[in-house]
Amino acid sequence: MSFLDQIDPLKQEALAELKAAADLAALDQARIQVLGSHGKLTGLLKQLGTLPKQERPGAGKLINDAKAELESVLLERRTELERKAAMPNEPSDFTLPGRRRALGKLHPLTQVTEEIVRSFRRIGFAVADGPEIEDEYHCFDALNTPADHPARDVQDTFYLESPEPVTDGPSARLLRTHTSSVQIRVMKKQAPPVRIIVPGRVYRRDNPDATHNPTFHQIEGLYVDRQVTVGDLIGTVEFVFRELLGKDVKLRFRPHYFSYTEPSFEIDFSSSLVRKMGKDWLEIAGCGMVHPQVFENVGYDPEVWSGWAFGFGIERIAMIRYGVNDIRLFYENDLRFLQQF
Amino acid sequence: MKVTLSWLKEYVDFTWSHEELRERLTMLGLEVEGMERIGGEFEGVVVAQIVSSDKHPNADKLSVCRVTDGQQERQIVCGAKNFQAGDKVPLALPGATLPTPSGEPPFTIKTGKIRGVESHGMMCSPKELGLAEDAQGLMILPPEAQVGQTFAAHLGRPAGDVVYDLEITPNRPDLNSVIGIAREISALTGNPLRTPELGSPGTAAAEIVTAEQCVCVHLADPDLCPRYVARIIRGVTVGASPDWLRSRLEQIGIRSINNVVDVTNFVMMETGQPLHAFDYHLLARNSQSGCPTIIVRRAADGEKFVTLDGQQRTLSAQMLLIADETKAVALAGVMGGHNSEINLNTANVLLESAYFKPQNIRATSKKLELRTDASYRFERGADIEICDWASWRAAQLIVQAGGGQIVPGAVDAYPTPFRPRQITLRHAKVNELLGIDLAPAQNIEFLRRVGLDVFDPSDESCTVKAPSFRVDLKREVDLIEEIVRLYGVDKIPSTPPRGAIGLHACDAAHDQLAETRRILVGLGLNEAQGQTLISHPSAELARSASSNEAASELAALARPLSSDMNVLRPSLLPGLLDALRHNLNHKRNDVALFEIGRVFARNSGEFREERRLALAMTGQRRPAFWCGPDREAKVDIFDLKGVVEELLDHLGIRGVTYQRRSSPTGLYVESADVQLGKFRLGEIGQVLPALAKRYDLRDPAFVAEFNLDLVLARRSTARAFKALPAFPSIRRDVAMIVPEATTHEAVLNAVKQAKAQNLEEVQLFDVFRGKNVPAGQKSVAYAFTYRNLERTLTDAEVNAAHEKLVNELKRTLHATVRE
Repeated sequence: MSFLDQIDPLKQEALAELKAAADLAALDQARIQVLGSHGKLTGLLKQLGTLPKQERPGAGKLINDAKAELESVLLERRTELERKAAMPNEPSDFTLPGRRRALGKLHPLTQVTEEIVRSFRRIGFAVADGPEIEDEYHCFDALNTPADHPARDVQDTFYLESPEPVTDGPSARLLRTHTSSVQIRVMKKQAPPVRIIVPGRVYRRDNPDATHNPTFHQIEGLYVDRQVTVGDLIGTVEFVFRELLGKDVKLRFRPHYFSYTEPSFEIDFSSSLVRKMGKDWLEIAGCGMVHPQVFENVGYDPEVWSGWAFGFGIERIAMIRYGVNDIRLFYENDLRFLQQF
Repeated sequence: MKVTLSWLKEYVDFTWSHEELRERLTMLGLEVEGMERIGGEFEGVVVAQIVSSDKHPNADKLSVCRVTDGQQERQIVCGAKNFQAGDKVPLALPGATLPTPSGEPPFTIKTGKIRGVESHGMMCSPKELGLAEDAQGLMILPPEAQVGQTFAAHLGRPAGDVVYDLEITPNRPDLNSVIGIAREISALTGNPLRTPELGSPGTAAAEIVTAEQCVCVHLADPDLCPRYVARIIRGVTVGASPDWLRSRLEQIGIRSINNVVDVTNFVMMETGQPLHAFDYHLLARNSQSGCPTIIVRRAADGEKFVTLDGQQRTLSAQMLLIADETKAVALAGVMGGHNSEINLNTANVLLESAYFKPQNIRATSKKLELRTDASYRFERGADIEICDWASWRAAQLIVQAGGGQIVPGAVDAYPTPFRPRQITLRHAKVNELLGIDLAPAQNIEFLRRVGLDVFDPSDESCTVKAPSFRVDLKREVDLIEEIVRLYGVDKIPSTPPRGAIGLHACDAAHDQLAETRRILVGLGLNEAQGQTLISHPSAELARSASSNEAASELAALARPLSSDMNVLRPSLLPGLLDALRHNLNHKRNDVALFEIGRVFARNSGEFREERRLALAMTGQRRPAFWCGPDREAKVDIFDLKGVVEELLDHLGIRGVTYQRRSSPTGLYVESADVQLGKFRLGEIGQVLPALAKRYDLRDPAFVAEFNLDLVLARRSTARAFKALPAFPSIRRDVAMIVPEATTHEAVLNAVKQAKAQNLEEVQLFDVFRGKNVPAGQKSVAYAFTYRNLERTLTDAEVNAAHEKLVNELKRTLHATVRE
């Protein structure tokens, strides 16, 4: 039998073997027998030298074609067997729950605070803070609320026990009733213009119930510059609340009274959410133009500088936004609550 | 402050509906907190008379009547039979709403066609009016019924009214009166304010006694009581109030007592001026003059006095009394005395109308914890100029309600007359502050409307005299507020936020806190917010945990709400333990929480606050899963430490060490201080089982707390790129048996000391006790990675370095290397 006549039967035999290989090991065995360094086809290649010189290219091409065909079949078969090997015995149930890596949640009050802070920062406000244990001077006196002022009734205050006899003096220590005390600290320290927001904890002497907790959070904005107007106040408040409560929100300013602003306003808002609660307006914040007396107290000239301040309760916003009906939920840290936000 | 719509309408005209009035008052700064409709039954139902009745052209059972309602004749289609022409009946006019069983929509009468014939109203049966369960035919009224009268009036039922509950801000005491509120409405509408016309006091004939002959007034402290008006009414019959007076008071929630007291309350509500009536005969008389002297004086320290409510009060020298020559008769501005009150035998009344210094009344009322309608008004600032007018008004009403005569004249002790404050308004300032463009004339018009006397007007400015009732008007900006209230804040155009850069040191800290929170949330912990105010025992618990805090004291409240909330937290841990308990009690056993917040203490008298981070973990390590050997593994100390390490690494805190504390504390069974060099960053440990039990914890609980201010201050955020290694590394593992007491840190120190060449990394991969490991020892296995950054290492050189290292470890750690 001629040398060349061996090629085709060899190829056919090898193809059959490759196709019959039941697993990757058998396939490899078959490959070695034909294509390995001692394999049959490799053997034929080695015999090429025995052929007359002019026949060698033709024979070489025949052998290489057979080799290429076998390799291609081999690859195909291997891919198939590999796929078979990777396939689990039973099909996976993709409806089974996955192995979770739990992510924690930010407290809803943090989330709301962050959103408010983000809006203010977009228009150039910096976050400021001050101590929670304050004195009467920063919390009341400097804010134009002297000791005998009836407005102090509105804010029932926690005083701290102190080693000295408890005095009703400007240095009597208390838990701040509003973040407005930080206004005074900041203005006393830095020259105008001022542009700050102050998120933080505040305290009122209220027994805990669905709408009160002795501890709660406020955020306060203060802007002092030349020629600041009520129009500026309205514009900024509108900007922030639209960011916070949605574009459809409507705001209403009502004259009100705060001792450290004049004129003072309360802000009501209305939205589809409020209407769903069966109301036209919901009170959400207080604001006003900084009282000239406050400027005088911190050493700013009210003839040169004007400004506005506004503040609101973070719990209140969170309660409206998420429909939370009891403020105490924010302080129980029940995971079933925290994980909803 | 409560006020009715009808009462307001006595002083000012307006055409607003009750809803619109609510809106207007609210937008003026008088927030309406409540609005209640009272009375007003059978609205739209009148007494009518049937003129004629004919058969309905298209229906046998109906008739077509001509009916007069007193104003006009109407055609009414009717189904009843029990009437004849001339009968008087209740007629519901179009628009009237008739009662329906609760839950059903109201039934409103409309003009309509019934079987082709127009009907302009409905004649009613008792059932249709809700007056009977069942009734046949129309309600036939008695012949004397007055055609055109409202049906409610016919029945003697009160007319409809609306009670408003207004929130009056503390700066506007003048609004604690019906006239004050009416004045605001007058300012808004421009309609005049109508105050009651008082008859002339009349001139006394020579033989008639005058007030001056009946009473003397001595102001011992004119600073605390700058004005006192005394007036006398003789021959009064004390008894029930007339209906109008009783209903005016009852509608706004004031109980009717008797005609004299009711009049004083009525005038207080009307004018804002508190009044007090004494029984003239119960006042001690001067033996010489024969008439009593009212002395307004300070109490003696410790003086006892029984107020109207029967309570005995102990007074101090700061408190002001109304007294006669022998005894105190009233606590000035707060409450009258038991010994001189109006009673059924009272015939002669001494009426007090005074002004007291607000600060003094406020202090007295606060100290005695006694709040009254009078003290509420005086401490906010009453109207010193109205004293005599209010007294005169009340005297007239007392005579009207209880008979008797007013003794001519009054004793008016008023040594220093009121001088109005003058305030100048610059028109430019108005526009500058409000951001609008108002003409000077407009400003002046607004100021006049709120009752201010404007003079010296020019293009630039004008000056006003602040009336005595406007104690809030002190400076220019207060006038600007009046202008914006009347102009309407809703008309001020908003200007978009201006560009500027705010600066404050806390701004960066805020971002760092946010970053810390995000990392912890990413690590699977939920953020908590605890109460700042906690109980003393809880606070002590946390304080005992940290030895170096023992020196500081707790920050405590002077007047706590309860013993559950009487100190400021010295640590966040008690709050987190509370949160663990709350969750476990609600069957959430697997809890991982953190809180960032402030803690408080007092160090040698100075209050101190510090920002902390606390962490707590208990229960299962991983969320529920349905296979695998460790799916039910519980959290241990290394889970918490892992969180801490990950956080500190990300924050860029390097070189942290953990030093085990030698003994348990009040909080921990086992714990460690977390140190950064000489700084103590915090602590970490396992909660004492006895304590865990007290908090209802089932599984071991692990907590940690850090001084976050300190941690954030020690951050290193510097980052520098290190070239990626170009040459391969070689790993060698070593398992060795060491004494139990040998810590991981000790091993690392030993490795460091050995200074092995080309050693890149050491990693612990196994700690084992048990089979083949002697008691009191443990097997620890480390992987050592060697690499040179410039070339590929050979096996031989790594082996040499490694062997040297292992020998060194054997020597320094007394370790046996397992082959």
